[in-house]
Amino acid sequence: MKKKILSVLLAGAMVSSLVACGVSTGEETTGTGDASGATTETAASGDAIVLLNGKPEIDEQLQALAAAYTAESGQAVEIQTVGGSNSATASDTLKKDYQAGTMPDIFVAEANQFANWEGMLADMSGEAWTENTELEYVNEDGTVGFPYMVEAWGIGYNADVLEAAGVDPSTLTSPAGYKAAFETLESKKDELGLTAVVDYGANATELGWSTGTHMFGQYLDAGLSAGADSEWFDLLQDGGKIDADRMTQFAEFIDLIQQHCDETIATTGNYDQETALFAQGKAAFITQGSWFGANLTGSDDYSGFKCGIAPFAFADGIDTICGGATSYWAVYADGNVDAAKAFLQWCSEETAQKAFVNECGFVSPFNTVSDIPSDPFAEAVNTYKSNGKLSPMHTFEKKDGLQNDTSVVFEDFAKGNLDVAGFVDTISKVCEAYYAQ
Amino acid sequence: MTAFSAKRKISSFAMLAVGIVCIIFSLALDCMGLKFFIDLGNGNLDIRGGILIVGILLTIAGIYLFPTLKYHRAIVYGLFLFPLLATFLVTVIIPLFFGIGYSFTDWDGIRVRNVVGFENYLRMFRQPGFIWSILVTFLFVFFNVILVNLIGFLLALLCTTKIKALGFFRASYFLPNLIGGIVLGYIWKFIFSSVLTNLLATKSMLSETPTALAAIVIVYIWQYGGYIMLIYITGLTGVQADTLEAASIDGASPCQLLTKIKIPMIAPTITICTFLTLTSAFKQFDVNLAMTNGAGSVSDFMGSYITNGTEMLALNIYSTAISQNQYALSQAKAVLFFIILAVVSIIQVRTSNKKEVTL
Repeated sequence: MKKKILSVLLAGAMVSSLVACGVSTGEETTGTGDASGATTETAASGDAIVLLNGKPEIDEQLQALAAAYTAESGQAVEIQTVGGSNSATASDTLKKDYQAGTMPDIFVAEANQFANWEGMLADMSGEAWTENTELEYVNEDGTVGFPYMVEAWGIGYNADVLEAAGVDPSTLTSPAGYKAAFETLESKKDELGLTAVVDYGANATELGWSTGTHMFGQYLDAGLSAGADSEWFDLLQDGGKIDADRMTQFAEFIDLIQQHCDETIATTGNYDQETALFAQGKAAFITQGSWFGANLTGSDDYSGFKCGIAPFAFADGIDTICGGATSYWAVYADGNVDAAKAFLQWCSEETAQKAFVNECGFVSPFNTVSDIPSDPFAEAVNTYKSNGKLSPMHTFEKKDGLQNDTSVVFEDFAKGNLDVAGFVDTISKVCEAYYAQ
Repeated sequence: MTAFSAKRKISSFAMLAVGIVCIIFSLALDCMGLKFFIDLGNGNLDIRGGILIVGILLTIAGIYLFPTLKYHRAIVYGLFLFPLLATFLVTVIIPLFFGIGYSFTDWDGIRVRNVVGFENYLRMFRQPGFIWSILVTFLFVFFNVILVNLIGFLLALLCTTKIKALGFFRASYFLPNLIGGIVLGYIWKFIFSSVLTNLLATKSMLSETPTALAAIVIVYIWQYGGYIMLIYITGLTGVQADTLEAASIDGASPCQLLTKIKIPMIAPTITICTFLTLTSAFKQFDVNLAMTNGAGSVSDFMGSYITNGTEMLALNIYSTAISQNQYALSQAKAVLFFIILAVVSIIQVRTSNKKEVTL
């Protein structure tokens, strides 16, 4: 008898565990539509639109923005935030969501990720917001990327140090101008308290994103007017070809930087060490862009000195910095397209844009607001933007993963394993090999 | 033979039939991307999953009541094994076959556009970087198997002597193995690139490909040596004291005791340790990721400049998928990786079986 009861109990446990597993999966599939969950408390849960955000640092601000929109329009918006330091996290989440059939209505995408979603995104051309910006992402599917932030990079500088040394930043539009400025600063290093003139990091493991993506981007686009096509990018896309003359000028400029940088940071330093050197006022220039403002203000060493961005002038007459929207919001065509479009339109208008600028610290891609974030580099970015001096950023559209290879060449160059000719030759080979794969 | 009532026969067949129809129906719906709603008044409820579960339960009940005496026991055993088998099927077997399938397509993590045949397999062997990864992995495995075992064995000898604070030594040698590889990697990266460079005023070991590889080997030995030591300690303490005593009475020196008695006696332990280090070194990923993320230049390998000098096979597979967004190619590499590991494991099982027989 005891045996029988035990076997019944065991069998019961087995069946109920099966049922339990089954029920929870059942709920998951039914829960797609009304996943309002803990993040938003709204009545209209059935139609909540879901936005997948890839920037954890602005999660709170977006939640507040979503709540404000719900209060205004009655449309619930759920913000899902994933990720961390790299963009791969958001794109991986999306792949998983796509397989599970739980795609968000709006999601974050970078320029070279749009091709993955070809034919699956809603065309937003003709939306009112497109009139107020030039930075939207357009491809064969139409206008598919809503810009929500502007980032830009050239060579950042410490305006106070330059002033004390008597260097006028407006002369920094040619290699000769830079050479003169670097030499002046080098001679006054002790008096200005500098340990290095330029804060440059090329360690591929730590700062490969900086050299392989951003600095390489200067080769592709520096000096071009906003929205222009880049012949060097077209050349690169055509089997990874490199223009040897331009690359030589570029390499000579990097070489100039390397003669005036801190060798240890250049070869083995990480982002924190790079940040600390500049924040302590021990370097006059840094090879980073507008995003660096947040790290600078977040550093305890930062004394509040003024900053600016100068063009990456490796050839005469380069007076632009590379910039634009580095990540976009795309609308999934099988989602709630109309509600998503309405939300994005609202995001482009004044109330939301003010929140983006003042709360998130973004330079606005729209001309609906004149506010500028309090970030040390924001004013410089905004000035370039309003003067039409933002070059495009084709570097985000090059073949995925190329930066991992080119950044190693930058590191070898910084370590002195390659000379200028060797750098040009190697980077050409690496690009060709990568595109041939 | 009328051991079964007509009622039981009918109910068994009916349950089986309805159950199978339910399963097929719900799976067909799923494959077509459709949902099955019922109206509850306050919103629709998708019961596609529900149908599947009801179908499975009905099928199980039908099988259980199946009118057979001969196979009834086998059926009951099978039913009890079902939860485990189903889990194994869903988490291991199905993904394995899906993975092999994906490796013949141009899957990008989102959808399959074309079937490309063996293209991915041919492509991966045209990448000098991948060939380099394979070679580096084999090199790494070679050094590790020898060094980890040697050091583990020497530590074990040390920890079976009569030195003081034996427990402390054993614990502290074993401790690194309890720290996760990623954490360990970051700790050692700091040591190599910040501590040692300042103390010795040299370049970081991680800055050049050969020394960076050596650094990974060192960290791996540090992580794994203690674990292998524990297994050797078990082996060494299992060598019978009377054998050793008899040998020493016969005049064997400590060195002879070691080479003629202890090592032959712990041959099975050596086999186990060798294969443990072999398979785990092959699968090296976390320390590699944390310490160098695969970066490192090799100026000329097969006529190309290689940028993934310290990237081992597992990390190469990962970065092919994640940072290069080539999921299908990565899947093909993973299949090759699986084959290599399977061959190693089969050899392992064969060899250890043989050893057990001779014991």
